[in-house]
Amino acid sequence: MTEVSTPTGPAIVVKGVSKRFGDLEVLHGIDLRIDRGTTTCLIGPSGSGKSTLLRCIAFLEEATAGTILVDGAPLGFTEGPDGARTRLPAPSIRAVRAKIGMVFQQFNLWPHMTALGNVCEALRTVRRLPRKEAEERGMAQLRKVGLENRAGHYPSQLSGGQQQRVAIARALALEPEILLFDEPTSSLDPELTGEVLNVMRALAEDGMSMVVVTHEIGFAATVGRHIAFLDHGRVLLDGPPEEVFGAPRHPRLEQFLETYLDRGAATLV
Amino acid sequence: MLDFGLIIKQMPAILAAFGVTFGIWIVSMLLAAALGFLVAVARRFGPKPLDWLLRAYVEVFRGTPFLVQLFLLYFGGPYVGLSLEPIPVALLAMTVYGGAYFSEIFRAGFEAVPRGHVEAAECVGLTRAQILRRILVPEMTMLVLPLCVNMAIVLLKETAVLSIITVPELTLVIGVIGSQQYAFVESMFLLALFYWLLVELCGVLGRWSEAKLSRFRFAPS
Amino acid sequence: MTPRLFELMLWAAGATVLISAVSILIGLAIGFLVCAARVSRTRWLSTPAAVFVSFFRGVPLLVQLLLIYNLLPGFGLYVPSVVAAIAGLSLCTAAYQAENLRGGFMSVPKGLLEAADMVGLSPWQQMRRIRAPIALRLTLPALINEAILILKASSLISVVGVVELTRMAQNLAASTYRPLLFYSVAGGLYLVINWLVAGGGSLAERMLKKERA
Repeated sequence: MTEVSTPTGPAIVVKGVSKRFGDLEVLHGIDLRIDRGTTTCLIGPSGSGKSTLLRCIAFLEEATAGTILVDGAPLGFTEGPDGARTRLPAPSIRAVRAKIGMVFQQFNLWPHMTALGNVCEALRTVRRLPRKEAEERGMAQLRKVGLENRAGHYPSQLSGGQQQRVAIARALALEPEILLFDEPTSSLDPELTGEVLNVMRALAEDGMSMVVVTHEIGFAATVGRHIAFLDHGRVLLDGPPEEVFGAPRHPRLEQFLETYLDRGAATLV
Repeated sequence: MLDFGLIIKQMPAILAAFGVTFGIWIVSMLLAAALGFLVAVARRFGPKPLDWLLRAYVEVFRGTPFLVQLFLLYFGGPYVGLSLEPIPVALLAMTVYGGAYFSEIFRAGFEAVPRGHVEAAECVGLTRAQILRRILVPEMTMLVLPLCVNMAIVLLKETAVLSIITVPELTLVIGVIGSQQYAFVESMFLLALFYWLLVELCGVLGRWSEAKLSRFRFAPS
Repeated sequence: MTPRLFELMLWAAGATVLISAVSILIGLAIGFLVCAARVSRTRWLSTPAAVFVSFFRGVPLLVQLLLIYNLLPGFGLYVPSVVAAIAGLSLCTAAYQAENLRGGFMSVPKGLLEAADMVGLSPWQQMRRIRAPIALRLTLPALINEAILILKASSLISVVGVVELTRMAQNLAASTYRPLLFYSVAGGLYLVINWLVAGGGSLAERMLKKERA
C-alpha cells in the first residue's frame, strides 16, 4: 500500500487503446489516466466496453492498438513512432503485471483449496515462500478483510460476500500497487454487497490505487475520486464525481442512470 | 495375405451374417427401448413394491456382464425348461439387458423435466396419462435422444459377443472364413473397420437428428 | 457347491479385480497422453489421437481382443494371453478415459485460470495446481463408471483363454453340469464387486464434496 518507485507519476496511463474481437470493435481509442492512491470508477451501460478496458489493463485481453503504461513501464507492447507494435519479452510482461491485482465478478476462488490456501497459493508457488511465512502473510490478509476465522473453510462453505472478500485478500497477498475490480458486487445478493463495499472503502482510505468497474453508483459517487463514463467503447465523460454527476448532466448519462438503474439510485446522486 | 477373391466367393455368407447382425440389433433395440419405457413408467407411476422389484431387475442386469447373462440363459435355460436356439436366446438376452439401461435413460429423462411444467399441466386439469403423453414424453425426447443413440451403439457392439454362443452373425462368420484362409488377423481387421464405420454412421445420424430436433429444446430457466 | 469350489470362484473374482484395476490404471495413463495429444494444436498429434479414440470406442471389445491376441505373434511377440488381454482392455478404456478427461479439462471455468494468471502462476503451474486437480475431481464419477464398465467388459477376456471369473464359472459349469448355479454365483460376485466400487466412489465423492463449489 505504500507508494514505491515513482510516487509522483500516474499509476496507469491508457493511450489510444482499441480492442476488436473479429469484426466488432469494442474499444475505440481510449485515453485514460489513473492517479496514484485514488479510486477510479468506470461506469456505463452493458456493452459499453468498461469490462474489456479493465481486462486490457489486466492484460487478460490484449489491446489491438494503443499502449498502456503501468508506473511508467509499457504493458505487453511498445509502440514505435511509426505506430508499429512490438511485443515485449515474457519476463518484462510478468514484471509489469506483478504490480496489478484483480478481483473478478465471479470471485473465481479455486474450489479445491481453502480460503487460506487460495490466499497463499501465489506466495508459495510464485514467490516460493516457505509454508509458515506464506501462511502468516495469508492470515494477515484474511484479517484485513475480517475473515481470519474462516481460513480453513472451502469456497463452497462461504457466502458470496465472504468469497469475494477472500478473493480481495488473495489479490492483496502479492502486495500489488494497483487493484482492479470487475463488477465485484454484481453477482452478490443485495444484502451481501455492503460487506464487500466496506472492505473496498477501507482500502481506498488506506490509499490503495484502485480501478473499479461498477454499477454501484452510490459507491462510485462517494468513494471514487475520478469517474469515467463509457458509452459504445468511448470515454464520454471523465472527471471528479461532482463534475460528472453534477448538473447539467450529459443526456447519455441521464439516460443511463434512468434506464440501467432504478430511479431511487439516480436521485440519490 | 487375405485373398480377396475368396472373400468375394464367400460374399453371400457374409451378407447373410450381416443380415443376422443387423436384424438382431434393430429388433432387440426396439424391444429393449419399449421394455425400458414400460419399466420407467411403472417405476414412476406404479406402486412401491413394483418399483423395488423393477429396481432389482435394473441393478442386476446393469451390474453383471452381458456375457454372463447370455451364458446363464443359453446354458442354464434348458435346466428350467427354456431350450432355445441361439438366435432367440440372443434376442431375449439383448432385450432384457438393453431394457435395464433404457429404463434408466427414460427415468433420468422424466426427472429432468422441470416439476413446474408438470404442475402447470396439473393446474389446467390434465390427467396423469395426458401429462405423460402431452408433456413428459415430448419434453424428455430431446434430453434422452443422445443417450438413446449411445445405447444403440452399445447394443450394436454387444452383438459381437453373440458369436460366443454360435449365433451366425458377422464376427462368427468372418472369424470362421478368416481361420479357413489362415488370414484371421486380416479378416478381424476388416471386421473392425466395418463395425467402426457403422458406429461412426450412427453417431452422425444421431447428431443430425439432434440438430433437427433442437428447436424443441425447452427454454433455459 | 462345495466350499472348495466357492473358493475357486472367489480366487477367480480376485483375478478379475486385479486385471481390471491394472487395465484401468494403465488406461488412465494412456488416456492422459491421448487427451493431451487430442487437445494439441499440432495437427499430426491431434488427428491420430482423434482416430485412436474413435477406433477403440467404435469397435466391439471382443473384436479388439481377438485382433490384439492374434496380432502380437505376427510381430514376434509371444506374450501370455493375460498380457494381451490387459493390453486390449487398457487401450479400450484409454479411449474412453481420454474423452472423459477432455470433458473434465474443458469444464474447468476459465475464470479460475484467469485468477491464477493474475497472481502470476505460469502455464505449467496453472496446469499442475489448478487445472489438473479440478479436472480430476470433475472426472471422478466418470472414472468410477468406467471402472465398473471395465470390470464387466473383462468377462470377454475369457474368450482368449484367461482364467478369470467368467472363465472359471464356465469351466466349473461344464464339469459339474450345473450352469445355473455357477453363472448365478458369477453374476452375484460381479454385482458385489461393482457395488463395492460404486460405494467407494460415492464415499470419495462425498469427501470431496465439502470443497465443491
